[in-house]
Amino acid sequence: MTDSTQINRRSLLRGLGVAITLPVMESLLPKPALAYENRPKRMSVFYTPNGMRMQRFTPQETGRDYTLSPILQPLAKHRDKFTVISGLAHYNASALGDGPGSHGRSCAAYLTGAHPKRTEGSDLYCGISMDQLLANHIGKDSLFPSLELGIEPPSLLGSCDVGYSCTYTNTLSWRSPTSPLPVSVKPQDVFERLFGDASAVDEAARAAQTARKASILDFVLADSQRLNPKLGANDRRKLEEYLDSIRSVEKRIQKASQQSLDINADVITLPAGLPDSFEEHVRLMTELQILALQSDMTRVVTLMAGRELSNRAYPEIGVPDAHHSLSHHGYDPEKIDKLVKINQYHMQQFGYLLERLATTPDGEGSLLDSTLVLGGASLGESNEHDNMDLPVLVAGGGVPGNRHIAMPKHTPMCNLMLAMMQQLGVPAESFGDSTQPLTQLMG
Amino acid sequence: MIKPRSNERFLAKGGRNGRPIRWAKSLVAGLVVLTAQAQAYDLSQAGEFLQEHCSRCHNDERYSGNWSLEEFDLASLAKGDELARWESILRVTQRGEMPPASRPQPEEAELADFLGWLTGGLDDYAAAHPNPGRATLRRLNRTEYNNAIRDLLALDIDIREQLPTDDTGYGFDNIADVLSVSPTLMDRYLAVAGKVSRLAAGLAPQQPYTTTFQLPKDGSILNQGVPAFDERMSNNLPLNSRGGGAFKFYAPYTGEYEISGYLNANTNNETDRLEQNRVSHSVHLSAGPHTLGMAFRRDLSLDESVQTLHNTTDIVVLPLHQPTMLTLDFIVDGERVGDTQVPSYYMSPRYAQNNFPRDVLQIDVEGPVSIVAEGETPSQKKIFQCQPRIWPFTAQRCASSIISTLANQAYRRSLDDADLAGLMGVYNTVAEAEGFEAGVAAAIQAILVSPSFLFLYEHDPADSAPGFVHSISDTEFAARLALFIWSSLPDEELLQLAQSNQLRKPGVLQNQLTRMLDDPKARALTENFAGQWLYLRNLEFHRADVVAYPDFDVPLRQAMLGESEEFFNYIVQQDRSVLDFLASNYTFLNERLAKHYGIDGVSGPALRKVNLTPQNNRGGLLGQGSILTVTSYGNHTSVVKRGKWILDNLLAAPPPPPPPDVPALVAKQGGKHLTQREQLALHSEDPSCSSCHVMMDPLGLALENFDAIGNYRSVDAGNAIDASATMPDGTNFDGISGLQAVLLARKTQFAEAFTQRLMIYALGRGLEAYDQPKLRAIVRAAQANDFRIRDIIYGIVTSEPFNYRRTPAA
Repeated sequence: MTDSTQINRRSLLRGLGVAITLPVMESLLPKPALAYENRPKRMSVFYTPNGMRMQRFTPQETGRDYTLSPILQPLAKHRDKFTVISGLAHYNASALGDGPGSHGRSCAAYLTGAHPKRTEGSDLYCGISMDQLLANHIGKDSLFPSLELGIEPPSLLGSCDVGYSCTYTNTLSWRSPTSPLPVSVKPQDVFERLFGDASAVDEAARAAQTARKASILDFVLADSQRLNPKLGANDRRKLEEYLDSIRSVEKRIQKASQQSLDINADVITLPAGLPDSFEEHVRLMTELQILALQSDMTRVVTLMAGRELSNRAYPEIGVPDAHHSLSHHGYDPEKIDKLVKINQYHMQQFGYLLERLATTPDGEGSLLDSTLVLGGASLGESNEHDNMDLPVLVAGGGVPGNRHIAMPKHTPMCNLMLAMMQQLGVPAESFGDSTQPLTQLMG
Repeated sequence: MIKPRSNERFLAKGGRNGRPIRWAKSLVAGLVVLTAQAQAYDLSQAGEFLQEHCSRCHNDERYSGNWSLEEFDLASLAKGDELARWESILRVTQRGEMPPASRPQPEEAELADFLGWLTGGLDDYAAAHPNPGRATLRRLNRTEYNNAIRDLLALDIDIREQLPTDDTGYGFDNIADVLSVSPTLMDRYLAVAGKVSRLAAGLAPQQPYTTTFQLPKDGSILNQGVPAFDERMSNNLPLNSRGGGAFKFYAPYTGEYEISGYLNANTNNETDRLEQNRVSHSVHLSAGPHTLGMAFRRDLSLDESVQTLHNTTDIVVLPLHQPTMLTLDFIVDGERVGDTQVPSYYMSPRYAQNNFPRDVLQIDVEGPVSIVAEGETPSQKKIFQCQPRIWPFTAQRCASSIISTLANQAYRRSLDDADLAGLMGVYNTVAEAEGFEAGVAAAIQAILVSPSFLFLYEHDPADSAPGFVHSISDTEFAARLALFIWSSLPDEELLQLAQSNQLRKPGVLQNQLTRMLDDPKARALTENFAGQWLYLRNLEFHRADVVAYPDFDVPLRQAMLGESEEFFNYIVQQDRSVLDFLASNYTFLNERLAKHYGIDGVSGPALRKVNLTPQNNRGGLLGQGSILTVTSYGNHTSVVKRGKWILDNLLAAPPPPPPPDVPALVAKQGGKHLTQREQLALHSEDPSCSSCHVMMDPLGLALENFDAIGNYRSVDAGNAIDASATMPDGTNFDGISGLQAVLLARKTQFAEAFTQRLMIYALGRGLEAYDQPKLRAIVRAAQANDFRIRDIIYGIVTSEPFNYRRTPAA
């Protein structure tokens, strides 16, 4: 390495600082753009915790050109891109005799439509989530069947919902009724997952790394099979889980070796740790999401802008109070105002996602054209722990925007999810407590 | 267990009077198996006791607590059928929770007889029917994985952040049933194992790489900039330093590295890292672990800081003077290795409303910029114990020797031919293409993702039937022991003793346990057990309201965490009584925390043992800021959270979950702010609330003298604090000292609670009814010597569940 290239590289690093900027990212992308009709179908979920102040979320008018509600104001310039659907309910998030713990239930039910088992112990049971069903269908040909992103680290002990394991409020994604998928909250982790060890970036090092991994996986598979017969049934299940993971990684490596990424070592710098600011963090995760979708590394992404029951405070927008505490506003106008500010702040981030999808070219159109987006929360009116009137936004993937569709009260949320899955090509006939696909979705 | 009863049966039963007592039928059968201990007291007396004191509520009509005595077979005790129920009867009668205080109480002697009979019966059953509990194949959690790599490869790095957080169960993150494997985790394991194996083998990438460390600072508050600190921020910085920080860095090669720092710019959010505020210095590092840091000097006048600028964003007073120049030091392993001059402030065009002294927000290390010579790291010394080309070794034989030594320690057992053949296969494939060292590194990577390393394998005797209870082998025991005490692998000494079957000989085990607890690696108990038992890990994520509690900043939070950790560690190191957790006349403070507590005479940022007087109102866990803070909300205390914390963690008496649709506390009534006491009194008017609050509230109310960040106070919201309380049994007490007396009066219950938590952690599973007799035995043995902590640890290590295993169902 000569002196001049070194200086050049370092000054580049300095100039970039901690944040990855998109122009840098674009150099990472595979070159050929796909023809419009061959573009893959994709889905993105944007989740906000602790429900919403529904009175200020749901628009008063229905149909096209409705008047935006206060919470939707930050999305004003995107109104043509999204549609509000009101009246949807997750009946399975109700107590159904299980007592308190609405946050635990509603979060677990959000993408699964299932009634989670009330437990704080090892016997978690929920249902396979919509994103994972999609990962099995539209995601099966991409490097990562799905990405689970989050902003807040998983909650530790002692602060989750009554009677429900923290797992239920930490994630939306369930690979199976018993295997929740953890969210990644560090941009650096996501980046490394997408692009591999950033310290081995040239083609030769990458090839050697792949070969090593393959030989190690062969060894491990053989080794586990050798140990397996010695185990009891319970332990065999544990090991089976391990073997499945190995096989899945192996498949991924095979795919990666077929896909050559043009990565320029001189311009990669990893964002370190968790960004200080909420907004910066969400935007970074959004950029990574865009990158993963655009490069077709994944087709299914979920992003939790906060874990359910989040007590994050938002001093940067003048709300130094804890979100969950505020969400139980008890109709105190001051608390409601603060809660609405948080809801709006979250909607502003949702707007950023829409904007980035819409401005990212994909074939002859934009990424938004090929990505069906679901936004919202797993509770409606937060003060009531209401799971029977959810805040729901849909966008992209050919869904016409600028509409408020008011469904009859208590229409299953699963009807919408079923319609979304069908729209994305999943041959599903029912999901959760669905009664029929929500035909209004496509207008 | 009790099943919900059908309505039909309930209706058919009718009144209670005149019906025969069902348990009488089983008296004869029960008497046959009565043992020596229980013979003085017979089954019919026990039946009478239950009939007299319990059946008024626990009958088919009232069915209190979802349980009726009418169907209850007393002989089940000897048969081990209803262990959970019997344990629950024992627990509530022993603690005086039942019969309720409002009901006639049994005579003292009568109660003692009953308890003696019941305890004896439970213990006898357990002794006659060994049951070490189920053992699920246990995966190393990320802390254990990290420590195992540290010990296996002599590689002092922290890779925990690179693995996903482990799920928790029963309050701990090492529970076998809960620890699963996902493709994401597997992916991370492979990546991390690849990185560390090549780093350890001296094959890290040679191109420069930037490692970034965010110094722990408070976030920007309401656009006012990020506060800086006028104190020494790390033990790895020179004594007279202020601000900045230090972190651990592992240099992959000996050579030149560039350390650079971003200084605060006093912009309104401080997320920018501007070139104007970046300073850097080139240092020489030898390959291996270092602490790197940057800090200012403490010997400076106040002109380094700009005056505080207040008011609104529109009116900001600009500084009158030009900045002066300050010395900023670059520090390697505690030594100043270079310095630079920086201006005392920087006015960003987007200036904040508050300017703080100059500080460092982030440190980057870039390197190796050039490699001078390849030094041998501790890892290379440990791994490469032979040279491939020096007689008598061939590359093949040397690799085989290295790999089998490492795999032996990593797998915690002797290797068989197939183990080695597989690893050598990996070595051969890679060595052929990339050379000897790369081959060894690949084999290490394979070891680190192998199920034999990631899981704790335990074997059952060949052809043993499901349910067969047998002792685990000494090597398996060593593996459990090392995980318990060190959260890591057994070292060579343990492995050797285990492989020669010496380890569990009484004198040997005592000595080894002492050696292990004296070893710095035993700090794992503090970080992992105490960190979770006491919720200390939550402190890092706790955000106090910055307006109500401007004092709660990073140094205070770190001091609070340090206090509790040093306190716990001291009790382990000095083999103190666990009753110190309830009340002690000492704690660990630095200047900052001592000021917070209003205690004089402590100066400097280092924590040290400080003796307490009763006037200090501290001592024990409940006087510690960490615990008082994590049991509070961001802007106010919570009597309920504190009460529940004590019930859960100190008394093992968790309250049942609140009923559905529990109403929130009402903070204001008729325009008047209510005290917590008034709020709770209002809340407890609802009988469905009061049954639990009667237990939680007094414990929490006694701590009301401590605010939401553990500061002592006598007034809250304009009201004088009343910290008096009454236990359900009528005991009156006041404040923390009263609470400590109440808890000390229940010292056996506390010792059992502590032992229960520690046993869950040691076994990696929840405790069941059949474990209770063993738990009681450990506590009884420790009681003789005032519940010293090492007696309890020894008791757990020698207990049946820790030493035995049941062959699982095929």
